[in-house]
Amino acid sequence: MEGGKTMQELKYVIVDELGIHARPAGLLVKTTGKFSSQITIQKGNIKNDAKSIIGVMTIGAKKGDEITLTCEGTDELEASEAIQAFLTENL
Amino acid sequence: MAFKFMEKLGFGDKNKIEILSPIEGVTCSLEEVNDPIFQQKILGDGIAIKPENGRVVAPVNGTIAVLFNTKHAISIISEDGVELLIHVGLDTVNLKGEHYKAHVSVGDMVKAGDLLLEFDIEGIQSKGYDLITPVIVCNTAKYSEVVPHIGNSVRALDKLITIKN
Repeated sequence: MEGGKTMQELKYVIVDELGIHARPAGLLVKTTGKFSSQITIQKGNIKNDAKSIIGVMTIGAKKGDEITLTCEGTDELEASEAIQAFLTENL
Repeated sequence: MAFKFMEKLGFGDKNKIEILSPIEGVTCSLEEVNDPIFQQKILGDGIAIKPENGRVVAPVNGTIAVLFNTKHAISIISEDGVELLIHVGLDTVNLKGEHYKAHVSVGDMVKAGDLLLEFDIEGIQSKGYDLITPVIVCNTAKYSEVVPHIGNSVRALDKLITIKN
């Protein structure tokens, strides 16, 4: 796949009892911050920058909520894979 | 020069933003917080307060951006765009709101000094939690410097963090 010409999108349903509180928000941003791609996080109608701690916390994702992350840029595939791994392991 | 003098007094210095203390207590560096997420500044740079009073007031004029339903942490975005997180205690998300009471909601506009949260110090400590309270500038990367005023006894609204643009 040619970098930057497409967009990676992944959906994930939160299984963690406590949802995205401060700690997972910090760790998620630590992951997304490693990539140059533009990354967003969305729940329902709220869509925010997934490299912003406040942005990630503001969506208020709780157990059972579905979140959507998009990655767009030259390293979008790697970013998407890293995010998928992070979510599976932590949330 | 008159300009320098005014600057010393804190007037007209647009390069500095003062964050006031939301809690009465004693301040320490984030390195002293027994939790890597704060120690390693993963959520941003800032300071921690060992609370001596179970009241959290707004440290700036701003808008409530995040209030978890567990009420153990609150985020406020200041009028000049500083994204602050006040996290009352470590791992206190696990209390699921017990011993915490919120006085504001997400979206509320607040003035420095307005009551945001109350928490029961004895109740939380009796459950074995460390009540040290990090106050974090989540958008640290936007600023050239975040200077915490550590080692002080502070009352609510005393100077806590100086941010330089």
